Amino acid sequence: MNTPSATAGHAATPAWKEWLFTTDHKRIGVLYLVGSMAAFGVAGLMALIIRLEQMNVGMQYITSGTQYNGFLYFHGAAMILAFLIPGLTGFAANYFLPLMIGARDVAFPRINAFSVWLFYFAIVLALLSFVIPDAPDIMWTGYPPYSITTAGNTSFYVFTVHLLGFSSILGAVNFLVTVIYMRAPGMGWNQLNMFTWTTVAAFVLQLIFIPVLAAAVTLLLFDKYLGTHFYDPSAGGDVLLYQNLFWFYSHPAVYVIFLPAVGILFEILSTMGKNAVFNYKAAVYGGIWGIVGIAGIVWIHHLYVTGMPDWLRLGHMVTTLLISVPVGILTLSMWGTLWKAAITYNTAMMYAVSCLYLILLGGLTGIPLALPSLTLHLSETSYVHAHFHFIMALFSAFALFGGIYYWFPKMTGRYADGAVATLSFWCNFIGVNVTFWPLFIIGVEGMPRRYWDYQMFPQFESYHHIATYGAFIVGFGMLLQFGNFIYSAVAGKKAPLNPWNSQSLEWTHTQSPPGPGNFIDDVVVDENWSPYNYSK
Amino acid sequence: MTTDAHASAHAHAHHWEWSWAPMAVVAGTFFLLPITFAAFFVYDNSMATAIAGGLGVVLVLAGVAKWVDEGLTQVPLIANVSTIGLPIFIVSEIFIFLSLFASYWMMRLGVTSWPPEGTPEISKIIPLVMTVILVTSSFTIHIGEEKLEHGDRSGFNKWLIITIVLGTLFLGLSMYEYNHLIHLDFVPSTNIYSTAFYSITGFHASHVFIGLAVFIAVLIPSLGGRTNKAFVTCASVYWHFVDIIWFFVASQLYFW
Repeated sequence: MNTPSATAGHAATPAWKEWLFTTDHKRIGVLYLVGSMAAFGVAGLMALIIRLEQMNVGMQYITSGTQYNGFLYFHGAAMILAFLIPGLTGFAANYFLPLMIGARDVAFPRINAFSVWLFYFAIVLALLSFVIPDAPDIMWTGYPPYSITTAGNTSFYVFTVHLLGFSSILGAVNFLVTVIYMRAPGMGWNQLNMFTWTTVAAFVLQLIFIPVLAAAVTLLLFDKYLGTHFYDPSAGGDVLLYQNLFWFYSHPAVYVIFLPAVGILFEILSTMGKNAVFNYKAAVYGGIWGIVGIAGIVWIHHLYVTGMPDWLRLGHMVTTLLISVPVGILTLSMWGTLWKAAITYNTAMMYAVSCLYLILLGGLTGIPLALPSLTLHLSETSYVHAHFHFIMALFSAFALFGGIYYWFPKMTGRYADGAVATLSFWCNFIGVNVTFWPLFIIGVEGMPRRYWDYQMFPQFESYHHIATYGAFIVGFGMLLQFGNFIYSAVAGKKAPLNPWNSQSLEWTHTQSPPGPGNFIDDVVVDENWSPYNYSK
Repeated sequence: MTTDAHASAHAHAHHWEWSWAPMAVVAGTFFLLPITFAAFFVYDNSMATAIAGGLGVVLVLAGVAKWVDEGLTQVPLIANVSTIGLPIFIVSEIFIFLSLFASYWMMRLGVTSWPPEGTPEISKIIPLVMTVILVTSSFTIHIGEEKLEHGDRSGFNKWLIITIVLGTLFLGLSMYEYNHLIHLDFVPSTNIYSTAFYSITGFHASHVFIGLAVFIAVLIPSLGGRTNKAFVTCASVYWHFVDIIWFFVASQLYFW
């Protein structure tokens, strides 16, 4: 943003300033990566503590229900709001979307820096809950009346949502303008990377739905601290209003996470299979935009058991089942991309292929939850817990880790592949299955979720044993993984500029890592160019 | 992508861009909103409230000043897209207002008699006057923009100041009305009408306040002869948006 005349003054800028105050999209992407992985680490430790507590009937390590609620709150809020969303739409989109469209930066670099620091200060606010008296204890959902009557500091929850929400909305504005106006000359809409399309769709969802969440939690703040009555039935308010507003955002939020994850998978599958994306237009306009079209009219399936009118439940059952169609189109395209492909199996590809299994399992186990009749039985059981971990947590996290392996040579100039990476992949993959399969089984049998002590269900103890062992296998795998990332970034095997022989601009036209301004010459493409142009 | 955008891009290729302004504004916002709020409402600590609030104001002002200055002196990578970005942002704003109205409608349509018990007579004169003021201010900022378009800077400054005065008058009337109603024991916790009334008018007033703050950020450098036209357009478009939203606020809360 500086004029040439200011360049001389920058020659002596210390490196820490260039990092800390950076407005470069790649460095902001790295800041997002570091922040989201740190959040993942802390929230992952919480998960291990939760699993240890659940291993046996009775009280083990956690001293009170309130403490357990605090751990659940932090685990859920941090994993969704500080790991998955910033990891996918913060790190991956920031670093690679401008490269993929041939842009030198985003449209508003300072607003981009503003977004990343909103994210960091939101994490600070969330971390403060460990040191303040009366920390928030309201899960990541913050349902009233409890969130209003609790002695916990609900305001920090609300402001964390505000900071992250504002960060995402500004990110959405920034990236939508960037994709509309800063594509390389000659790049048409049907020549965009799948990751670009899925990210654009995710940002459209963020733009429309985050304000609703922001309003929902703001009213929570008013009710708790100013004495208003939005969620107070005794004065004519409606306690279900919050759940409606909350899920009106938070269901689409699932797609905000799901879609960029799908985009990363397409990049990996196409590159490692040396095959064009199968059914590109159907996947983009039917799959991606189909999901965006239906995303806003399915939220009632989170409220089936709250006494919604039957017509509303039935309507949302239909729309919820309808979501399978665009998801199916996308899945079909992913499988089709592998059809007769010349596949290279490396760590990125192993994560991508495992995602094909996770999306199938997570998607199919969601169908019973779309049906009100079955949900009456399954709601609030660990079946739900296992289902959304498979489709949302595991699928998206595996896609993100696959993406990190895929783009690692671009970011560092070195490979992260190797024996340690392979071992950590298998630990993670086996571990998550060992953890969550038992939860499906005992969920159907009636194991309630969110209980810290399940004295009334001692018969499930052995399943909880298995699940806890699984969690520690994942813990070990992740430890290896992060050790490997750090080691490889410093001393990994050197990689050429385009190690996977990809056709996408981030590989064909940039250094590793790309310097200021990304490209040496301006990028121009013709109508025959495609990021998936692999001749047979 | 335009050619002049390319020309400026080459100047960027040799060093890493940085600016401390964004982080200062975020840090200031962090102290000014969550910390100040919690210090006051949750922990009831007036000392911490004053310190966090003061620190927040200083950081926000410093950051905004630096940001505005950079916006006036530096060549952007791509010009004139902020006038596209702002309307996209306004889509978000529309949804937050829609959520508030939806909450109000749900409460209002759920009861048999309106207004609920405890509601005093609310004057319809004040909102009418406020409407006239805000609509007028939309015209005055438009005239100001026309002046700037024709190179008449002192005319622009004059009409911008008139707009700021009108906006301040609007906020003043709002405060006067709040004060009056609070004396009649109509406070946010009185009933569901007061709940919606203070939340929605207050939320709108906060937008008026932001709009005024942006105008002042335009005015100060403009008095010294510096303006960024895209910034002026954005400020003006935002102001029109705040004006249009007011029609919904007034019609739903005062005249229904």
